[in-house]
Amino acid sequence: MVEIKTSESKASEDKKDADAERLISAKLKKIYPREVHGLFAAFRTAGVAILLGLYYIVPWLQLDGRQAVLFDLPERKFYILNMVFWPQDFIYLTLFLIIAALGLFFVTTLAGRVWCGYACPQTVWTEAFLWIERKVEGSRQQQMKLDKAASSFRKIRIKATKHFIWISFSIYTGVTFVGYFSPMRELAFNFITFNNGPTETFWIFFYGLATYGNAGWLREQVCLHMCPYARFQSVMFDQDTMMVAFDESRGLPKGPRKKTLDKSAAGLGDCIDCTICVQVCPTGIDIRDGLQYECIGCAACIDACDDVMDKMGYDRGLIRYSTENILMGGHTHIMRPRMVVYGLILIASIAGAFYSISQRLPIGMDVIRDRNSLYRETTEGLIENVYIIKLLNMDKQDHYYTLSVEGIPDLILKKDTAEVVVKSGEVVELPVRVQVDAYNLKQRSNEILFTLNAVGFDDLMVVEEARFLGPTFR
Amino acid sequence: MDSIPPVQRIIAIVWPSFITAGVATVLFTVAFDPADLFIDYDIGSLSLYTICFFLFWSLGAISSAATSYFLKPNKTINR
Repeated sequence: MVEIKTSESKASEDKKDADAERLISAKLKKIYPREVHGLFAAFRTAGVAILLGLYYIVPWLQLDGRQAVLFDLPERKFYILNMVFWPQDFIYLTLFLIIAALGLFFVTTLAGRVWCGYACPQTVWTEAFLWIERKVEGSRQQQMKLDKAASSFRKIRIKATKHFIWISFSIYTGVTFVGYFSPMRELAFNFITFNNGPTETFWIFFYGLATYGNAGWLREQVCLHMCPYARFQSVMFDQDTMMVAFDESRGLPKGPRKKTLDKSAAGLGDCIDCTICVQVCPTGIDIRDGLQYECIGCAACIDACDDVMDKMGYDRGLIRYSTENILMGGHTHIMRPRMVVYGLILIASIAGAFYSISQRLPIGMDVIRDRNSLYRETTEGLIENVYIIKLLNMDKQDHYYTLSVEGIPDLILKKDTAEVVVKSGEVVELPVRVQVDAYNLKQRSNEILFTLNAVGFDDLMVVEEARFLGPTFR
Repeated sequence: MDSIPPVQRIIAIVWPSFITAGVATVLFTVAFDPADLFIDYDIGSLSLYTICFFLFWSLGAISSAATSYFLKPNKTINR
């Protein structure tokens, strides 16, 4: 609920204030976003509640006797629900990032910067920090007054309270962050009892500091200077992209007026120039100047303006989600080549990712040539190469492995045991020697293939290439 | 050049190098297990990843800082 001042003097005063504020914000002065209520503010609050809720709750969830989501760096295993990812599964991280990027392009072309306005961690944590700030310091006017006021016990007490809550919240955010990498329950207990190791403690405070700095102090500066997305948004935007826009044809000429005034007789548009859209803006811009890279598409100005329009008895939507085509008097096309292409690539990548994860073999093998010698001759006169074979078992059950080698006639594989047992989730390093009669070597470097098979599971088979080196006498 | 606010300049040095360090750490540690590389030292795995990250970050920051420094227009040097 915003209160509006319809009297002329008040409005022009506000306009001056707003202009001064824009100048100040250019010099990196603090922006005090005015509180706003409405449909889009409710969406954002829901976004904040869901996303922060997930962030803080997920590390506490257990599944099958272990933490449901844990990026275990020392063990080099990423647990995500019932899946376990190994460094060998790096391709899936790459796939995931490609899908995320494509998804962002798709959504941006369709709906503009909805990511920024409702889901970006910067927005989400800033909203939480702003909420705390309002609870402690009061409304926008009260905050500005407090900052202008001379130092007093009251000012210090209020500021100290705010920063204490901010810092506590930040540190807990840091604990939660580390909880994704180090078992949460242990970590939280150790945190309370001051028993965490130096690395965990460092990251808790480092992440806490980043949260406090970004959401408490930097805020819109992050969007303006740190976010690459804001800068290349124009690449993804077209004339049919949804964006927050001021309807100039309806709003101009703007000007303050009494509610009872006949605006058409006075030659005025619907904009009463109350500047509330500027006051609510978290990045301190005037949406009436058109699309700007600073606009994070949060729609706070839409909610605020609709409120004003209601009070004036005008139609809502002077500032609204619109597209360039509609503002120019045309129509918006949702189905357009760009959307179809982005959509198809996106669907194909998601399908591909799911397919390849479902086809993922739970066994693996790395072949590492012994670096100390190229080859050696055995007492029987055979040429011998030595390899270290890393046998991986990413399955939930233990496996017996058999290993064979081919690629050169009459290859002999020498290892200690016929079958190797690798327990679930473990890696076994197996040194092997491969021997062959030099007569069979056609060149210095030969390709050989190691085949790994889990006993009793014909479909669990991995083939790895390796080089077999010999003398250069031919 | 002087019109760039200090905040933007600091961010331009610290932030891209942070992102690059994150990517570099992931790529490097996927290929090499730090625990294998520093087997002679008694340092925990988590600490090794941390050291790795900050090493990459400082390298990137040095590069960004040098870039920022050399972007100073030549004409202003003689003044």
